[in-house]
Amino acid sequence: MKKALKVIALVLALAMVFAFAACKNNDNDPTDSATPSGATEAGTQGTATDVDYSKIKVGFIFLHAPTDSTYDKNFQNAVDAVQKKLGLKDDQIIVRSNIEENANCQNTAMELVDEGCNVIFADSFGHESYMMEAAKEAPNVQFCHATGTHAKTAGLKNFHNAFASIYEGRYLAGVAAGMKLNEMIDSGKITADKAKMGYVGAFPYAEVISGFTSFYLGAKSVCPSVTMEVKYTNSWFDETAEKTQAIALIDDGCVLISQHADSPGAPRACEEKGVPNVAYNVSTIDMGPNTAIISSKIDWTPYMELMITSVAKGEEIPADWCGGIAEGSVQLTELNTAVAAKGTQEKLDEVMKQFKEGTLHVFDTNTFTVNGQKLTTYLADVIDEGDFKPETEAIKGGYFDESDVADKRSAPYFDIIIDGITAVVEK
Amino acid sequence: MSKNTTHSEPLIRLSKNDSVPMWKGWLIRIAAVVAAFIVCAFIIVSVTDLNPIEVYAAMIKGSFGSVRKFWILLQNIAMLLCIALAVTPAYKMKFWNIGAEGQVLMGGIATAACMIWFGDKMNPVLLIILMAVVSCVAGAIWGLIPAVFKANFNTNETLFTLMMNYVAMQIASYCVCFWENPKGSNSVGIINAQTQGGWLPTIGGQKYLLNILIVLFLTIFMYIYLKYSKHGYEISVVGESENTARYIGINVKKVILRTMALSGAMCGIAGLLLVSGTNHTISSETTGGRGFTAIMVSWLAKFNPFVMILTSFLIVFLDRGASEIATRFRLDESMADILTGIILFFIIASEFFINYKINFRSKKKKGVNE
Amino acid sequence: MENKTPAIELRGITKRFGSVVANSNVDLTLYHGEILSILGENGSGKTTLMNMISGIYFPDEGQIFVNGKEVSIRSPKDAFDLKIGMIHQHFKLIDVFSAAQNIVLGVKNKGKFDLKKETAAIREICDKFGFVIDLEKKIYEMSVSEKQTVEIVKVLYKGADILILDEPTAVLTPQEIKKLFAVIRTMRDHGKAIIIITHKLNEVMEISDRVAVLRKGEHIGTVVTSETSPAELTQMMVGKKVSLNIKRSDVTDGSDRLIVENLNCVDREGVSVISDFSFTARAGEILGIAGVAGSGQRELLEGIAGLQRLESGSITYIDPKTGNHENLRNKTPIQIRNLGVRLSFVPEDRLGMGLVGSMDIIDNVMLRSYSKGHSMFLKRKAPKDLAQQIISDLEVVTPSAETPVRRLSGGNVQKVLVGREISANPKVLMVAYPVRGLDINSSYMIYNLINEQKENGAAVIFVGEDLDVLLELSDRILVMCGGRVSGVVDARTTTKEEIGLMMTSLGGAKQ
Repeated sequence: MKKALKVIALVLALAMVFAFAACKNNDNDPTDSATPSGATEAGTQGTATDVDYSKIKVGFIFLHAPTDSTYDKNFQNAVDAVQKKLGLKDDQIIVRSNIEENANCQNTAMELVDEGCNVIFADSFGHESYMMEAAKEAPNVQFCHATGTHAKTAGLKNFHNAFASIYEGRYLAGVAAGMKLNEMIDSGKITADKAKMGYVGAFPYAEVISGFTSFYLGAKSVCPSVTMEVKYTNSWFDETAEKTQAIALIDDGCVLISQHADSPGAPRACEEKGVPNVAYNVSTIDMGPNTAIISSKIDWTPYMELMITSVAKGEEIPADWCGGIAEGSVQLTELNTAVAAKGTQEKLDEVMKQFKEGTLHVFDTNTFTVNGQKLTTYLADVIDEGDFKPETEAIKGGYFDESDVADKRSAPYFDIIIDGITAVVEK
Repeated sequence: MSKNTTHSEPLIRLSKNDSVPMWKGWLIRIAAVVAAFIVCAFIIVSVTDLNPIEVYAAMIKGSFGSVRKFWILLQNIAMLLCIALAVTPAYKMKFWNIGAEGQVLMGGIATAACMIWFGDKMNPVLLIILMAVVSCVAGAIWGLIPAVFKANFNTNETLFTLMMNYVAMQIASYCVCFWENPKGSNSVGIINAQTQGGWLPTIGGQKYLLNILIVLFLTIFMYIYLKYSKHGYEISVVGESENTARYIGINVKKVILRTMALSGAMCGIAGLLLVSGTNHTISSETTGGRGFTAIMVSWLAKFNPFVMILTSFLIVFLDRGASEIATRFRLDESMADILTGIILFFIIASEFFINYKINFRSKKKKGVNE
Repeated sequence: MENKTPAIELRGITKRFGSVVANSNVDLTLYHGEILSILGENGSGKTTLMNMISGIYFPDEGQIFVNGKEVSIRSPKDAFDLKIGMIHQHFKLIDVFSAAQNIVLGVKNKGKFDLKKETAAIREICDKFGFVIDLEKKIYEMSVSEKQTVEIVKVLYKGADILILDEPTAVLTPQEIKKLFAVIRTMRDHGKAIIIITHKLNEVMEISDRVAVLRKGEHIGTVVTSETSPAELTQMMVGKKVSLNIKRSDVTDGSDRLIVENLNCVDREGVSVISDFSFTARAGEILGIAGVAGSGQRELLEGIAGLQRLESGSITYIDPKTGNHENLRNKTPIQIRNLGVRLSFVPEDRLGMGLVGSMDIIDNVMLRSYSKGHSMFLKRKAPKDLAQQIISDLEVVTPSAETPVRRLSGGNVQKVLVGREISANPKVLMVAYPVRGLDINSSYMIYNLINEQKENGAAVIFVGEDLDVLLELSDRILVMCGGRVSGVVDARTTTKEEIGLMMTSLGGAKQ
């Protein structure tokens, strides 16, 4: 019996060795087998017929696996969408996930260069410095980085930053929240002075502050008596902490909750407590059918398309790029009409139109005060050299000029706590 | 109810078998790997419909596909091996040090501090010497704290060292807040990216070569230390039998403290190599779980530093292979982890079959009772 | 005893462990309302026999009857179902639980569990048999005697009618023993059948109704206590003297080498294990130490070797060259060595203390000498030569000097250990049970080696269990009983019976 097993094992082992040898032969011409199904499809659609994408190979570096993290999932969705849209073949796209924010990122980027990628995209803020190192090492390859801050000042021609004017999306989400508050006041559920919202933030950083301020201003535009309390979790993904903070806010008298963190902790807490919730990044109607109103989100497809198309055409990718509502970078998910106040959709459409026309500015200095004063000048820390010194005047033409790619940068830099918002930093 | 019951012997009995010849042991190991690949092949076919041979080929490519991949392989082996070497004297002494994660991190924090504070102000050679000393001391202190409690109050070192990991991670998080660059990023970024102050030098154009050479040197050092030094001998005696150690007059307390200081200091070196020689940054995840994986590397190699080269290669190879197949075949990363899990399981299980003999109850014995 | 059906009857019970026969054809009867003592030296098979009754071992041959019915006891649970309960020497209690919680632990009751109701039931048992115990008290706060009470109540609470107590008095003070005996008598009067395992003759005479004597696994006989005497019991226990023909040379030197005075030692539980212990070991002489196992032999030797803390007393070593007196009490082994005291010690636990099982012979030989010199590194040359020499001189059977000692047979392990210890030319040599488990040839080789050391002028302290060996090898024999010196006798003139009596009762014949 034992002997027989050993013989079988030996035979299988030998079979495997031969198989390895055989497979090496296959590898020599990989294009043979793969039928370019995507390409033909794209061709018939005619969206990209004038650009030759056949020489393109794109590498993607994700911090976590898209199956584990909604943040990375959002990028993966964009990758799939852009692949379909441009008709790229499977072997033209390489996704490396679970890449830490350390030398592994640089190594992975260089491995992607070795594989023949002409453009490489990384999705996490902490990847930036390693992407810059890789950009120095491989000057002929384009490196694009989401949420970063250095492209303008780094002096590297092949390194680029991108973001979206998500504050506009948040503003819209805030309008939906304000409508809901008005409904509560009108129905006598609460009085106008009790219109208090809660916000679960990750870290007390500009990206978060800019986000909740625009959300608040959106709500205030329709419900002038609104106030807001912010609590931080000091983590981008901590379901327990997000849930705990959401419940703490509800206990503090908040009648509506929104959040800027990646776990479903806050929406779940809201559904348990029956408190309306406005979410971010993904639609939460599944987990909160009775409380979810709407979510704002960034769609990375437009930027990915821009980056790939630029390389294919041999054009330069902008050093810094910020997509807005017009470009399709900032979007709202489906409105949950079961929860949202009546007329919300109409109001949203109206505000969106104003954004598209450029008549509405989120951080209009007429709409808010800081310490009781109207803001007339503010120096923001835009040039990021680790000095933490604000140096750039951000007030322009009566509004705070957030994410101005032309002379500033795409990543948010609004970091002022305005009146009406209480944000407690627990250290 | 009569005396001829069959309760005299259990159906399956295990007996220790420590006289397996070397060739037989290796045969069992190789058979285990082959069996693992066959089982994985079935899983690959049934779950993903891929050709398992292609999957295995991709796995090999993940480590040997290009010169760069090969260097990365060597670097990853060196880092894992360095920590495995560090925990080895403790484990040989049967001191269950699962705190390497924290000890490495403390070494890394100390290194990062030197780089940030003195990066541009000191002679580079002096700075590297200072970093080496400080990282050793930081790691050693982190290793010594549980050892002092163990030696004096007989506390449970497993829990203690584990808790120390979390303390170290909190310290790292605090330092990150402190050194944050750029502000609001919650990360330190690359330290001294322009001046490269405090970076371990590149030799022969290969940025990881120095790391690899240092670890190679440490491997040889640890081999000699354990096998030919009096300290190593005392570690073995204390580990095998504390009673014997007392009987021949070894100061057990002293040996525990000294060994944990060494173990911690070597973890500190690993921190130095990770921060100054590899990542040029610090975060609470700098160690990345290596402190735990290293324990497996050390035990699989039965504490032999040279065999550890092989076992750490195995672990790194599987890891690199897993991420390669996840990328190449667009598999979920967990699928790749399942495969490496199965392979590791078979390899570890093979050690069981090498060390133990399985005896089935024989019919003859039953007869005796009748 | 009027009851005709015995509570337990054993017929022809035999148990073998490999080639060792632990019990051979043992018959035993126990009635309700009686206390039976089981008496026997170490290794006479008492514990094995009791383990078969309580379901830990299963006999190879023979029958067990409980209340007249033949039974098969396969597990401790079977034993409980037959109302047999054993109180082990080492208590099996949960420290953080209270007495009541420990007592009800493992009892399966139908319906809702109610600790208050159970506690009342326990109290009833205590009152019935006269146990004094605080049921709320936690085990870790209890004295040894209280813990024992909990164990007994626990067994009674589970409904045991047949109780086996394994050396219940070993850990108790005289007052506590008195109380225990009173309780045991009450239990007997309530019709319980009780077996007590003990070494102490006076206790046997005091408490038991009948005594069963075991020797070398065989049942020698059962006698009614009131019709026997300590002398008769001792004779049954130790048997006739067997001549071994171990050569014994005359004492040549005889000067004092090691003077031990008034040593006291308590163990972790606070129980005194050595009290007021004094003796003198002389150069060129073998001092045999006899005693029931666990009488304090280990603590005494380890105390002298610097491995065991001693509360008080002195250990004076007299240097044969200089005549200097050194007090060794509470010095570490290193300090003793640094004083120039050549003290060798062959401990009882060979692989657990004397040697390192996984190391090879060379590294084990090196244990004593490795630290010499200032080099960081080991010098394996001399130990290697010594290992080779031990292997050839003592005929150690081993594949090579690089073989881990764990793989050697017991005799060869002991040869390595003894070989290493005598290679240092000791002035004091202590050996504990050096031939335990060894075959005849190895045993004689060890005797010869010990004799050689004696002739070289070493003071030899030989702790043994086989009285025949002690009688033929030693010059004088110190008999221990319960951590005290029961007496010192001349090995050339004394008898086995005299030693046996001294072992089982302090002072022996004098009482």
